[in-house]
Amino acid sequence: MRVTHEQSDSAAKSCVAVLNERFSGSGIKSTVEHHSNAFKMPFVRIHAEPQHWLAIAKFMKYDLFVNYCSMVTGTHFPDGPAERGWEVAYHMMRMPVSNVKPNTNTIHVAEKLSGNDIPLEFEVLIALQQGDTPTVPSIQSIWVGADWNEKETWDLVGINFEGHENMHRVLNPHDSPEQFHPLQKQHKLRYHGHNEMYDDPQGFGRKPADEGRNK
Amino acid sequence: MTHGLWTLRVKVDGETIVDTDAELGYIHRGVEKICEDRDFTQITPYCDRLCYVSAMTWANSYIYAAEDLLEAEVPERAEFIRLISAELQRLASHLMWLGAFGPDIGSLTLMTWCMRDREMFLDLLQELGGSRMHYNYPRIGGVKRDIPVGFATRMIAKIKLFERRIEEYEMLLDESTIWLVRLQGVGYTKAEDMVEAGVSGPNVRAAGVNYDVRWAHPYSVYDQVDWEPAVEKPTSVKGADCYDRYRVRMEEMRQSSKMILDAIEKIPGGKNTNYSAGDEMIMTKAPTRAPEGATGFSNYECTRGASQFYIKGGGEGRGKNPYRLSIRSPMFITIPYVAKTMIGYKIADIPAIMGSFDPCIGETDR
Repeated sequence: MRVTHEQSDSAAKSCVAVLNERFSGSGIKSTVEHHSNAFKMPFVRIHAEPQHWLAIAKFMKYDLFVNYCSMVTGTHFPDGPAERGWEVAYHMMRMPVSNVKPNTNTIHVAEKLSGNDIPLEFEVLIALQQGDTPTVPSIQSIWVGADWNEKETWDLVGINFEGHENMHRVLNPHDSPEQFHPLQKQHKLRYHGHNEMYDDPQGFGRKPADEGRNK
Repeated sequence: MTHGLWTLRVKVDGETIVDTDAELGYIHRGVEKICEDRDFTQITPYCDRLCYVSAMTWANSYIYAAEDLLEAEVPERAEFIRLISAELQRLASHLMWLGAFGPDIGSLTLMTWCMRDREMFLDLLQELGGSRMHYNYPRIGGVKRDIPVGFATRMIAKIKLFERRIEEYEMLLDESTIWLVRLQGVGYTKAEDMVEAGVSGPNVRAAGVNYDVRWAHPYSVYDQVDWEPAVEKPTSVKGADCYDRYRVRMEEMRQSSKMILDAIEKIPGGKNTNYSAGDEMIMTKAPTRAPEGATGFSNYECTRGASQFYIKGGGEGRGKNPYRLSIRSPMFITIPYVAKTMIGYKIADIPAIMGSFDPCIGETDR
């Protein structure tokens, strides 16, 4: 049992048609893309501007029934063009999940799913201007699941989520310096003072991690 | 709690929980940053170590994303071996969960029984990967080597034994008063709430919907083997309780056993060791460099829910390394949600509720 390519393709195409019709004037591009591994499954890719993001998110949630915000990825492009210094990628899923009555359950048969029940993957890419304060609106109020994803993205990458309540460090220590976000590209990996892991394979030249600091 | 390093802050009124707050990040290792300096084959061992309880599924999850990025073809025999290895890992992981969940509830017997059975599957996985817990077995474009001599025979015997052991567990637990009292009517969660909050996997299936990434976003040869997603019938309008989540994992172990037995019969090329490492039935040559601007994404049914990898290739003229590798851990999203579902229950229910969601801090903190 599995969702077939045709099912997924038709669902993706209808979503793209609806999205392009609704947001035709605002420069938002939606396309059907395909993964390049085994089943070549299609997904919907949306390129959006940060100022349109909330409107698209609401449309996705309430008109396309995208109920699952699974992943938020921030990327830093210090050498990129001025209009793409940062990028935020959202991965959303549409799942045919609804509450059941007591002592019953929902058994979906993949091949028989149709319309809005077909599971589908959405990828939303938002490019942000170069600069020190990349900002996108928070979608915490639309998907509860975005809450901790956004916390993590701010913590590690330093993307600001405007309107996010209770933003705090989740993976780094709470007393990390302000503006320290380790996945930004100015922070390089170091191996005991060496730039490359294999500069000193036997480790004879290794120095204590706190060398040169006032003790 | 026997589920790793994390803090749960609880505000109580008498014995009733009023508010909770989860603190994570104690074993944050910066895997995403480290991976930016490794080439694509070097990343697999790091992904093994994301979750020490379910290393094989995490490595597989990464491999599917890398194959999406590098456009690698995978021989069908390798896909079957991956399926078998992932399902063996699922059995081992669920047994680890049950073994840790027992002491949470007050049944120490369960720990010893589960560790005993888990060792059978760790031995099998060790035969494949060479190591007891971290296997580094899947490769981009296939698997490291063919199944070892006699592996199929030993595996079938162990799985058949284990299918009887599941019944033993059920005899031990399903009629144990302590077990039922501690689990039934505790920690209700509704399916829609969970999906809204980003919870996935067995926890959602416990609430009565058979949504499973293995058929919804198909990736391996799961359509060719005989199985059905494990799903429960919750008894309350309030959704699934801890007992449903326990039941769904027992059922999932049954389904995994069934799947393994079926897959080893259907494997192309036969269930004996027929191919040397690097044979085209086992592994195809995959490119090592990703084109500029290419991305890879995988959605994978890990033992605790949907684990996802998102890789941006190329960048800075060094297509050998990923420019950015992002990991979505199911438990990172689930733990804060579970912390909030405890509100309204008693302090003594915390281990039951938390344990029933199968938290693993290794993957949470990455």
